[in-house]
Amino acid sequence: MARELTLVDAGLGNLASVERALIQVGSSTIVTNDPDLVATSRIVVFPGQGAFGDHTDQLVDGAMGEALRMVIQRGDPFLGICIGMQMLFEGSEEGGGRKGLGILPGRCRRFPDNMTVEEGDKTRRLKIPHMGWNEVRPSNEHYYFVHSYYVDAANSDDVMWSATYGDIDFAAAVRHENIFGCQFHPEKSQQAGLRFLRAFLLGSRQ
Amino acid sequence: MLKRRIIPCLDVKNGRVVKGVHFKGLRDAGDPIEAARAYDRQGADELCLLDITATTEGRETFVEIVRSVAPQIFCPLTVGGGIRREDDVRRLLNAGADKVAINSAAVSSPPLIERLAKRYGSQAIVVAVDVRRMPALPRDEEPLYEVVIHGGSRGTGLEALRWCEQVAELGAGEILLTSMDKDGTRDGYDLWITREVARRVNIPVIASGGVGSLEHIRQGLALGEGEADAALAASIFHFGLYTIAQTKQYLTERGIPVRPPEGRRAA
Repeated sequence: MARELTLVDAGLGNLASVERALIQVGSSTIVTNDPDLVATSRIVVFPGQGAFGDHTDQLVDGAMGEALRMVIQRGDPFLGICIGMQMLFEGSEEGGGRKGLGILPGRCRRFPDNMTVEEGDKTRRLKIPHMGWNEVRPSNEHYYFVHSYYVDAANSDDVMWSATYGDIDFAAAVRHENIFGCQFHPEKSQQAGLRFLRAFLLGSRQ
Repeated sequence: MLKRRIIPCLDVKNGRVVKGVHFKGLRDAGDPIEAARAYDRQGADELCLLDITATTEGRETFVEIVRSVAPQIFCPLTVGGGIRREDDVRRLLNAGADKVAINSAAVSSPPLIERLAKRYGSQAIVVAVDVRRMPALPRDEEPLYEVVIHGGSRGTGLEALRWCEQVAELGAGEILLTSMDKDGTRDGYDLWITREVARRVNIPVIASGGVGSLEHIRQGLALGEGEADAALAASIFHFGLYTIAQTKQYLTERGIPVRPPEGRRAA
């Protein structure tokens, strides 16, 4: 049976591919920017691309921020994707220092410039953003990432999967009770990404 | 560890794949949707669609093709070719592209890069840089490359390394670097310019132009050789010479970090 799920359109980028991936794994999806509809939803997916800035401040302080907090505090299944995961935390260094929803402890930090990695007998300088397919622990699956800021979770128990870029170990996916987040884009991560979305949907069955 | 990306590229003209994609299981060699789906299933890390149509009607067709391909694949989609204005970028992103590559338009108006990056995020803006090696002058210590446009038919007077640094500073998220000397030759990437660009800029560089074998892909990505973050190729995949899985295996055995081919597990 199709699971009815609410996809939050908070103006943080194009949602079509997330919607398509959710349909592919068998959910029926409502896309909305209406905080009242979000507040009364039973499963919520909150995707986002782009950056922290004035727009995310308004979201955090506004009715949509209130609706997202309400869903989470009620204990209904919630998945934040990319910026949507970052916004679960207290804030970000991005945009001169911005606040998040403050649901999980920790902050988003920028990857340092001029990181290097050893490859064979040679050294490679790493680029920013961290863009491409990286492996997560402990599953060793690969997912597609695009981000310049990473979640530095204060509570290591919240980190479900981690990944490494240069010297930095960061949260690739987080979980705290009913709250899930992934830094990668499951909708761009082929079969591994679809399996992740399917697992979220199955796990949220009540 | 972040892996190097393998990107098959489909050249599309008037809605059809130029020269076709010929591998097992494809019914229509010229159908970009079928080809894109097949590459996604094979585990391509990303796909590139380039519009090489010259006409306005052809461009409309291309937007429709992007709109049809995007929902069928679950990997990043980069599109480019013939993009002149900001509005072309908007329409392609709305049609489902993840990244848009701009070329001549960036040369004629560098501030366009900055505007697009601010509006859509750097990650969505690729600058395609086509280069040609200049004839060597007697006292040159290093080769010089010029940026060319319109399929290599027109010079710009821009020096390639300086231009690449500038596009990175203006906010491009990635550089798609094509050697017009090598393009279509199948004798390998121009490793010198690829490596120099990859070392100069702090954004990913995609090597393009000249792949005829898996060894060429390895060279393009290897440290001390091309040092690119991603390798783009067309004909060796389209003619069914190698699958994505074979390519990944070849690279893995030679120490290039790539994502292993996907298992057959169903989603």
